Amino acid sequence: MTVFLLVLINGCIVGSTYALMAMGMSTQYGVARILNIAHGEFIVLAAVVTYALQQSGLGLHPLFALVLACPIVFAISYILHITLYRRLRRLSPNLGVFEGNAILVSFGIYYIAQNLLQTYMGAAPKRYPFMMTSVNIGGAGISAAGLFVMLIAIVICVLYTIFLSRTRLGKSIRAASQDSQAAAHLGVKINSIMALCFAIGGILAACAGVLMSMREQFQSTSGLGYTTIAIIIVVLGGLGSVKGAILGGFILGIVGYTVSHFIDSVFMISVFYMIILVLLIVRPKGLLGR
Amino acid sequence: MSDIVKIITGVGVTKRFGGMTAVNNVDFELRRGEILGLIGPNGAGKTTLFNCISAFYRADEGIITYNGNQINRMSPDKICRLGIARTFQAAKNFPDMSVRENVRMGALFGQVGITYDEADRLTDEIMEFAGLDKYAHLNVPDMPLALQKRLEVARALATKPGVLMIDEVMAGLNPTEVGEAMELVGKIRASGVAILMIEHVMKAIMAICDRIIVLHHGELIAEGAPDHVANDPQVIEVYLGEEA
Repeated sequence: MTVFLLVLINGCIVGSTYALMAMGMSTQYGVARILNIAHGEFIVLAAVVTYALQQSGLGLHPLFALVLACPIVFAISYILHITLYRRLRRLSPNLGVFEGNAILVSFGIYYIAQNLLQTYMGAAPKRYPFMMTSVNIGGAGISAAGLFVMLIAIVICVLYTIFLSRTRLGKSIRAASQDSQAAAHLGVKINSIMALCFAIGGILAACAGVLMSMREQFQSTSGLGYTTIAIIIVVLGGLGSVKGAILGGFILGIVGYTVSHFIDSVFMISVFYMIILVLLIVRPKGLLGR
Repeated sequence: MSDIVKIITGVGVTKRFGGMTAVNNVDFELRRGEILGLIGPNGAGKTTLFNCISAFYRADEGIITYNGNQINRMSPDKICRLGIARTFQAAKNFPDMSVRENVRMGALFGQVGITYDEADRLTDEIMEFAGLDKYAHLNVPDMPLALQKRLEVARALATKPGVLMIDEVMAGLNPTEVGEAMELVGKIRASGVAILMIEHVMKAIMAICDRIIVLHHGELIAEGAPDHVANDPQVIEVYLGEEA
């Protein structure tokens, strides 16, 4: 029972940040149709901002880094979209070509971003101390930092879901992700929505990065690993489905923690790929996909 | 006649795809209060012309105006907010939204500065007008084709357009449903919205259109009242002749 609780809670802790990462990627792909290979670099960037703030000796809570990291990543993503991707979309003869080109461009951005990060922070893993105590839940010792991270991540997931269903901007995002042409012909300002969605995806990556840095170490090359996990979750949950991204995030978190607890963490990614393989055969549209 | 008001005009509208000219130098006009039929064999360029007007495509040459303002450099969303709404040949409703939510999207985004309350009121009004109020609970992807098409028309109407462009809204419907669709189109015209419609169901188009324009290989080959067009030798040859 204790082991079960330990695995479940720790899995959810890991899964909560996975969900944020995947929600961001899903928003970017669902509306702007960009599978952003550089997604993980923005997660690392936000983590670095948090780390730098912790090292600055200002004594601020690491959560405060959100105030800094979110606008930075939002601005970079927005500018990338209106300068590069919008032009790319105009030059592509159809959406399929654009999607392919967009992946290539995002690979380019990934290389540039990764090198910049490496130049700035070096190759050494980074970690700062945060809530080093553990909490006893039903006999299982759970890290306090982990619980805090999960709480904030869930709050962000809930807020984002409410944003999508209740606000006018959220509604236009949902419409654009279901059928961008139909949305445009109903008066939704599709060009700005696409840029905004790409930037909102960046904000979610930034949230994931800030939270991630509170409970595990990261390094300049961690980004691609995050991107891979986000892609797996987005496929698992269903391309473009935000609820699918949340569900998939938690499932992958629990599965991943189970594997690393009972077998070895080196098998985690292999198991993830196996899940995707089975999924693509059994249910290619994903758990909550159309 | 001096009381003819042209709402949409097209002059020399041309659209090419690679070496193929889909719409070639077409002149047309849509007048206030009328139902204008757009017919022609498959591949004649009807939907391409539609797409040029609604800015789904950008016309390579020519000028399209709406109420005197040139619109063929504008974005689709701007054209919608100006007052031109459209439906699609294959219905493009939002599958993960309810029937009412679909209509409400048109109400929320089709006009500048509309409040939630106004959009709600407009949505209820349109749902009733289009006879969808009793289907509000249905799951959109499971709806029968006739209702899917009706929903698309309703959603477009919720943007409060001055012109409604409908693309084959009667294709695939049974005779009863065609009758109901014709009734709805008539009601929309009576409410003061001018209509441009592509249709293959000849019985319907002859009965409800005030004027018809005929495209063939991207060119305009005939224009006029339904009986005039139906008796045009060239039209009979390229279009009606096919069916005889």
